[in-house]
Amino acid sequence: MAHVLAEGLKFRHQDTPIHSLDPRIKLLMSVMLFSVALVSDGPYQLAVTFAAIAVPTTLARSLRRMGRVVVVSLTFAAFILVVNILVGYPLLKSLSITLRFIAIVAATSLFFVTTSPDELEYVMRWFRLPRDFVFAFVTAVRFVPVLMLDLTQIIDAQKSRGLELDKGGPIKRLRNLVPVLIPLIVNALIRSGELAEAMESRGYGAVKKPTSLHELRLWGRDYAALMITVGAWSGILFAFRYYIGVV
Amino acid sequence: MAIIEFDNVSFRQPSGVMALKDVSLSIEKGEVVAIVGGNGAGKTTLLKHLNGLLKPSSGSVKIFGRDTRDQSVAELSKKIGLVFQNSDHQLFSETAEAEVLFGLRNFGFSEEEAAKRANEVFSYFGLDGLRQRAPLTLSGGEKKRLCIAAVMAWNPEVLVLDEPTVGQDFPSKNRIFATVKQLVAARKTVIVVSHDLEFIWPLNARTVVMNRGQVVADGDPQRIFADGRLLEDAGLRQPQLVALSKLFGRDASFKDVNDASEWLANR
Repeated sequence: MAHVLAEGLKFRHQDTPIHSLDPRIKLLMSVMLFSVALVSDGPYQLAVTFAAIAVPTTLARSLRRMGRVVVVSLTFAAFILVVNILVGYPLLKSLSITLRFIAIVAATSLFFVTTSPDELEYVMRWFRLPRDFVFAFVTAVRFVPVLMLDLTQIIDAQKSRGLELDKGGPIKRLRNLVPVLIPLIVNALIRSGELAEAMESRGYGAVKKPTSLHELRLWGRDYAALMITVGAWSGILFAFRYYIGVV
Repeated sequence: MAIIEFDNVSFRQPSGVMALKDVSLSIEKGEVVAIVGGNGAGKTTLLKHLNGLLKPSSGSVKIFGRDTRDQSVAELSKKIGLVFQNSDHQLFSETAEAEVLFGLRNFGFSEEEAAKRANEVFSYFGLDGLRQRAPLTLSGGEKKRLCIAAVMAWNPEVLVLDEPTVGQDFPSKNRIFATVKQLVAARKTVIVVSHDLEFIWPLNARTVVMNRGQVVADGDPQRIFADGRLLEDAGLRQPQLVALSKLFGRDASFKDVNDASEWLANR
C-alpha cells in the first residue's frame, strides 16, 4: 500500500498548464483547496470541493495518480468513518467527515504530484527556512522512490527465502516484517552516510551563504493563475456562507 | 527432461514498458546456463519469473511441469533457489549461522535437520570461521558466498545467481567462480545471470543473450562469444580471451587463462 502511495505522490515531469506554474502558486492553490476542504460540510459543499480539486487535477493530467492516492487514503477514511460512528455521530455526519478527510488528502496531494523536488527546494528557500533543514527535507522526499525500490527488492529477496509476509496472526505478521525492515533501515543508513560524505566532498557547507542557480520569478501565466485561484477560492467560500448550505 | 519452460512469455511492467517479449526457453536438469545482456535487457525480470515473484502477462512459465501461476513464491522457491544481486538486501540476522537457519526454518525443516544442513553448507562453502560473525560486517565476497550458502542449505533443485560479480574484487570473483564450478561438478542445475562476460566465458555454459526483453541468441558459447557484432548490439563486450584467440587466428577460443598461457608458451 505504501508503494502505491509513493507511486501516486512521485513527481513526474509533464507538460501541462499546472506543472509549468511557479511552485509558490501551486502551493497557494493547494493551501486554498485545503482550506475549502476543511470548512466544507454536507453533500453540496463537498461536491463543490471535489469539483474544485478535480479542475486543476484534470488540467495537470494527474487524475489517475490522484486516484491512487485517494485509494490508499480509503483505509484511513474507513477508520475515521468507524470511529465517528462509534463515538455517536449520525451516519450522514460521519460520512461527511470522512469525505472531508479524502478531500484534504487530495488537495494536499495536488502540490506534490505537480511539483518537483527541485521546485520544492526553491519554495522552502524562498520562505527563508534554514538551508540544512531544506536540504534534509528535500533529500528525504527524493529518497522516497529509492527506498520504495529497495523495499520491493528486499521483499522479493526474503520471499525467495521462504518468508511468507501474509501468513499467520497479527503478531506473526509483525514478526515477519523484521527481515524486511532491518535490511531496509541498514541500507538507508549506509546510503545516507555515503550521501553526506559525497556532499561534503563537493563542498557542502564550505560557505555560509551559497549562491543559487535558480531564482523564482513570476510570469504572466502565474499572475493569471493567482487571480483565478484567489477569485475561485473567494467565490466558493462566499457561496458556502450564503448560498450552499450544509444540507 | 526440461524442468524450466518459458512458452512465449511476455511481461508488461506497471509503467507500461514491455520488459519481456515472447521469450521461449527451456532448461534441462543438470544444465548450466548463462543469461547475459546489458542493463535493462530483461535478465532480472526473466529470473523473477522462475520463482513466481513475477507472473507473465501472457504466455506461461512451467517449473517441473507446473504453471507458476498455480504455485506460491514459497513453494517455487523451495525448488528454485534465487540469490539476488545485492547481498545487503538479504542479510539481517545477528550471525551468519542464523542467516542460514532463516530459510531452513521458513521451509519447515526441524531444528535438528536445520542445524545439520547449516553445518554442511558452512563446511562445503568454506565459511566455518564466519559462523558467529555478524553478516553485515563481512566483506563483499564473504557476504555473497554466505547468501549462496544460505540458499543452498535447503538444497533447491536449481540455483539462480543474479549478477554474482557486481562489486566484487578479483579474489572474491575467483572464489565465487570456484563455488559455481563446485556446484556444476555436483550436477546442480545452475543459472547465472550476468553482464560480466569475463566471468561467464570460462564457465563454458550454454549461453542465452538477451536484448530489449527478447532472447536474441541461445546456444553454444564458442559460437555466441565469437560473434562480436551480436554482443555489441546487446550492450556487451567480447571476452578478452575470445578477442585474443581471434587476434592469433585461432578457430577455437582459449578456454581460460591457463589454456592461453600454455598455448603461448608452446608457440
